[in-house]
Amino acid sequence: MPVRKHDQHMKMFKNKGKDETTLRRQRVEVSVELRKAKKDEQILKRRNISINFKEENPSLGHGRAAEIIQPSLEEILEAVNGEDSQLQLLATQATRRLLSRHKDPPINQIIELGIIPRMVEFLGRADNAALQFEAAWALTNIASGTSEHTRAVVEGGAIPAFISLLSSPHMHISEQSVWALGNIAGDGPIYRDALIARDVIPPLLALVSPATPLGFLKNITWTLSNLCRNKNPCPPLDAVQKILPVLIILLQHEDKDIISDSCWAVSYLTDGCNDRIQVVVETGILPRLVELMDSPDPIVLTPALRAVGNVVTGTDQQTQEAIDAGALTVLPRLLRHARSVIQKEAAWTLSNIAAGPSHQIQQIITCGLLPPLVEVLDKGDFKTQKEAVWVVANFTTGGTVDQVVELVRSGVLKPLLNLLLVKDSKTILIILDAISNLFLAAEKLGETDKLCLLVEELDGLEKIENLQNHENDMVYRAALGIIDKYFSGEENTDLEPQTGQDGLYDFSVEKKDFNF
Amino acid sequence: MELSDANLQTLTEYLKKTLDPDPAVRRPAEKFLESVEGSQNYPLLLLTLLEKSQENVIKVCASVTFKNYIKRNWRIVEDEPNKICESDRIAIKANIVPLMLSSPEQIQKQLSDAISIIGREDFPQKWPDLLTEMVNRFQSGDFHVINGVLRTAHSLFKRYRHEFKSNELWTEIKLVLDAFALPLTNLFKATIELCSTHANDASALKVLFSSLILIAKLFYSLNFQDLPEFFEDNMETWMTNFHSLLTLDNKLLQTDDEEEAGLLELLKSQICDNAALYAQKYDEEFQPYLPRFVTAIWNLLVTTGQEVKYDLLVSNAIQFLASVCERPHYKHLFEDQNTLTSICEKVIVPNMEFRAADEEAFEDNSEEYIRRDLEGSDIDTRRRAACDLVRGLCKFFEGPVTGIFSGYVNSMLQEYAKNPSVNWKHKDAAIYLVTSLASKAQTQKHGITQANELVNLTEFFVNHILPDLKSATVNEFPVLKADGIKYIMIFRNQVPKEQLLVSIPLLINHLQAESIVVHTYAAHALERLFTMRGTNNATLITAAEMAPFVEVLLTNLFKALTLPGSSENEYIMKAIMRSFSLLQESIIPYIPSVITQLTQKLLAVSKNPSKPHFNHYMFESICLSIRITCKANPEAVGSFEEALFLVFTEILQNDVQEFIPYVFQVMSLLLEMHKNEIPSSYMALFPHLLQPVLWERTGNIPPLVRLLQAYLERGASTITSTAADKIPGLLGVFQKLIASKANDHQGFYLLNSIIEHMPPESVDQYRKQIFILLFQRLQNSKTTKFIKSFLVFINLYCVRYGALALQEIFDSIQPKMFGMVLEKIIIPEIQKVSGQVEKKICAVGITKILTECPPMMDTEYTKLWIPLLQALIGLFELPEDDTIPDEEHFIDIEDTPGYQTAFSQLAFAGKKEHDPVGQMVNNPRIHLAQSLHKLSTACPGRVLSMLSTSLNAEALQYLQGYLQAASVSLL
Repeated sequence: MPVRKHDQHMKMFKNKGKDETTLRRQRVEVSVELRKAKKDEQILKRRNISINFKEENPSLGHGRAAEIIQPSLEEILEAVNGEDSQLQLLATQATRRLLSRHKDPPINQIIELGIIPRMVEFLGRADNAALQFEAAWALTNIASGTSEHTRAVVEGGAIPAFISLLSSPHMHISEQSVWALGNIAGDGPIYRDALIARDVIPPLLALVSPATPLGFLKNITWTLSNLCRNKNPCPPLDAVQKILPVLIILLQHEDKDIISDSCWAVSYLTDGCNDRIQVVVETGILPRLVELMDSPDPIVLTPALRAVGNVVTGTDQQTQEAIDAGALTVLPRLLRHARSVIQKEAAWTLSNIAAGPSHQIQQIITCGLLPPLVEVLDKGDFKTQKEAVWVVANFTTGGTVDQVVELVRSGVLKPLLNLLLVKDSKTILIILDAISNLFLAAEKLGETDKLCLLVEELDGLEKIENLQNHENDMVYRAALGIIDKYFSGEENTDLEPQTGQDGLYDFSVEKKDFNF
Repeated sequence: MELSDANLQTLTEYLKKTLDPDPAVRRPAEKFLESVEGSQNYPLLLLTLLEKSQENVIKVCASVTFKNYIKRNWRIVEDEPNKICESDRIAIKANIVPLMLSSPEQIQKQLSDAISIIGREDFPQKWPDLLTEMVNRFQSGDFHVINGVLRTAHSLFKRYRHEFKSNELWTEIKLVLDAFALPLTNLFKATIELCSTHANDASALKVLFSSLILIAKLFYSLNFQDLPEFFEDNMETWMTNFHSLLTLDNKLLQTDDEEEAGLLELLKSQICDNAALYAQKYDEEFQPYLPRFVTAIWNLLVTTGQEVKYDLLVSNAIQFLASVCERPHYKHLFEDQNTLTSICEKVIVPNMEFRAADEEAFEDNSEEYIRRDLEGSDIDTRRRAACDLVRGLCKFFEGPVTGIFSGYVNSMLQEYAKNPSVNWKHKDAAIYLVTSLASKAQTQKHGITQANELVNLTEFFVNHILPDLKSATVNEFPVLKADGIKYIMIFRNQVPKEQLLVSIPLLINHLQAESIVVHTYAAHALERLFTMRGTNNATLITAAEMAPFVEVLLTNLFKALTLPGSSENEYIMKAIMRSFSLLQESIIPYIPSVITQLTQKLLAVSKNPSKPHFNHYMFESICLSIRITCKANPEAVGSFEEALFLVFTEILQNDVQEFIPYVFQVMSLLLEMHKNEIPSSYMALFPHLLQPVLWERTGNIPPLVRLLQAYLERGASTITSTAADKIPGLLGVFQKLIASKANDHQGFYLLNSIIEHMPPESVDQYRKQIFILLFQRLQNSKTTKFIKSFLVFINLYCVRYGALALQEIFDSIQPKMFGMVLEKIIIPEIQKVSGQVEKKICAVGITKILTECPPMMDTEYTKLWIPLLQALIGLFELPEDDTIPDEEHFIDIEDTPGYQTAFSQLAFAGKKEHDPVGQMVNNPRIHLAQSLHKLSTACPGRVLSMLSTSLNAEALQYLQGYLQAASVSLL
């Protein structure tokens, strides 16, 4: 949930506290979610089901694969616990096959058999590569399930076994271990850090070389991304610093899956406090990320945009680096992207740039972002519109009078006022805040009346008036404040040229700072 | 209190007494109940009574008392006693749900309210089993019970519709969803099935439909914050059933009542809301269902009648279509010419018709009619919804829609022409259609500002509007007359001026119409026309063009105020004000009669002021009469005073609070008209104006300060000579004002007038005290507003008394005070001063300190000379500093009672801006250059050396510019 650091209490006061608030909104994980899990996120755990049967049993064709006799669970249990290596291999293979079937793998039943410790033991059988491989595969697929499933594998002692297998002379075993470790790391910060503490990173990185086959490299990249993933806490800084140089190299790869997973990794590393963002910014990777943000392929674009979006939640300087890398020149296209999730992310990114100082806001204007902003505000889907409202609110808070005028000239007012009908109190409140900001700018220009007319013409006055009946107290107060300040007694202003002040000296404070 | 029969008996008696109409019996009983409500078991006694009492009236009374008791006491407020002991709380929560469910409806409602109040505090943490307890009742099969549960759930969950997203809120919603969503869905399905099994049983259907309405409302609340996973997975079930309910009809559920919406209407209305919620927020997920809903809702509209009871349903349904047709990806649903025609023909046109209910309002409830029609408080009306749909459709289909409607307009006008007295409503609809089709943007001030270019507004005006207004009989077809006048009013910026001029006499004529709506609209239209601006910001309609109509205009306006129902008609009074303002000196011949009528009106309404706008415009009109007349003939002020003072005295004596601020403003205006000494009639009033009671009312402060300023301006010497003993009282007012953060600027207005106008010797003895007061305030509660006023004041003082006097008085209060004020206040804060005149005063004052104050040259203050000069140049050249210190951001609006709401400032009583240094100094920059030149002549070399050693380069450059402009140089 985007969180604004701005204290809500501030809204109750007429004057805005420009200086002491920062408007940047970090991507904060919500502990409560009502919606279905997001569809556009990177996958956390994966089961190995795709390796074809030919490889394991070249003499058998597809047609005959079905004829393999599948032992019962009892038979498996007996064989695995027995001493006959051949039977052990067959039973392990059978287990792996069960766990690799497309539908409903019996993970729970396998765990309940209690054979995991034995499988972990098999991982250490350097004399029997086939057994090692089958056990690794089976355990990979168990670890790919729920947290409980993963825990069963970890508690079976698999972490050190898998880490030592990274250096196995057999590439397919080391690749399977990479996969298993990826699943374990993907479970959450605790196992991730447990892996890091066991020094998983050096042997993992050692596997990356120009000669690494593509499929293997994809697995490594994915596992690396899971080692960067998750917060509370973030991965240890020294681990990050070890991984980053390799990620930078991987980002230059030509395969889009590798690029995508590397981008996700970077996006996780930038999803945190400014110090973490700084570590990434210092690698000089921003121009490449911005280039990838412009990719035609959503699997690359999405994480690249996410990463850049995270960077601009940072300090003004970090944001400036993203701007210098060209982020603002790509955003117009993304705001007009065919997929609404991308529009939404782009608008979120823009909202944080708009929270910056006025010279950055100027760059937003120069890069032609106002027209697409107005478009999404008008026609975007609801989630995008909400983010676009934040852009306007931040822009009007930090922008100079001239910049705010430019925003109004771009036609922001009509869609903004239309959004006062949305069914979301928070968004309404932010819009009212933005409207107040517009009025403050108009006051400085002495054009309050003009803005009043414009707001009324666009049916905004009626909407604000209706909000005075809103159930939400803050919304009601904000609407009332605007009506009181700008729309009551508007008759007096058009009456007479010599409309006088009531006192000898017009301190104008009586209008502006009246609430002191 | 024990749970005993005796106590139940006592309580019964007291409850009975609380129903007694005699306050002497009722009040003590209420007091008694309040005094015992803190006792243990009190709420349980009430619950016992509402369940078991023999008398129904006691049951109901106990339930209401219980609800109010819960409302007052359930919330535990920090630092306040907890009036309900823990065991009572537990007992209440354990018993209230079954009790509520087994009670008759009247009591059930009270208990349901009580549950939701308790729920707001205790749910979910402190009342974990509430949900399960409720959900379990869904199985009961007893719909009386089920509806009780649903109603309670609705009052518990409806806050999800307006509260801000937060982890706490969402945790609660998630909990509710986990326990409630599935049972609710099952109940929904079961209820719908029961509806078809009981399709022939009217009373069963009524109960079942009440459940469906509540279920639909709960759906809305639970889906409001975000689309819950459960509802996304079950969208098919919900939407399919909602859709079929929209198309359902059952004769048994139709009601005969024309006004009150029946169950079917309420349910369908809520379903429209639910569909609109999904369409707006969850578009992506809802897209597959949307076209079906569009069709269903549109069919619903085509088949729904004109009765008032369908209004909410129809307007919700039309608003749904209006919001969908504007979205680009649904454009195709409306694109087809047949679809468009059908929507126009069957949805829009029928809902624009003038209905019997409208006719009734037009005749019998004109005020409400005008408010709705003119001021746009018509949000929920069908006409308004139809209008919005026209505008929505025009976004993509302006051409075709205009074409379709043009055909309609023509045929309706033809119908009318065939037989006007029978078919006049057709013309009304035609005008309404043209209006809604043509108007793209509208404001109160300018009428329509953007029109559909495909509609020829002038042609329609000439052919169809003017003929109605030209008709000799002003009282015929009043609705069409009102339509015609409204047409002029809103299209005034589109219709050419010569047509407006043609219509002016017609409008004046219609001021005489008997219909309140018609003469009100005529007055309003005239008022609006008179405010229109032409080139050079002059009024579009000139006084010369109005010359032939002045007499009849004024006569008809004042006559209209005597028509039944319009004696305090604000539109007419506003038109009077506007006419005066436009006509200026051409009203002078009529002033004697006008002022008599206005004072009579004033006298009459002052008995019971009830129409604030009417009153305001009445005072504005009085001010205008005074201004216009006295401008031509200043002596006339006496006759106004003669006419008005009698009424004013009565207003002041009767303490008519609404009018007193106005009276002060009119008096200020009159007083300022006097060119010579202040008349004795005013002086007699002077002591009364200083009465503290007047100053306690915030609404009085600005006009009273203004009036005292007028006294000081005109009569400072008279005050000194005849009322010197009142000077402390006057300063007392200043002290009162300065003590308040809200009113301190008013205090400074007064103080500035005192310093500027009073002879110095008359205030000599108070001067030190004044400064001490100001310093105290500065020390204790400094605000930016105060500092700004303070800076202007000390500089004005400096201008008036000299820089040396300023330095001396500061240092006499406390050694080195002058330097401290310079260093801590003037130099750092001067940039905050705003306003042209204020800045000028400060510039002249500081120039004096720099150049006419010897201690600045030869004491320890010398080190401040350059910083002060730099600050002055900053004041000239830098943008105003409008930042406000952090701590001041937190001054709440409520802390400072505002006068803007309480005080109604009269625009036409305003005074011109006064520049006390205007004559002395024209250009303050040049004045600085000249003064520096003078100083450098007096002590050659010193100024130059100070400048060259420490003034910053930029400032120096500006200064050189001033010297050049003044053609002087420094020695």
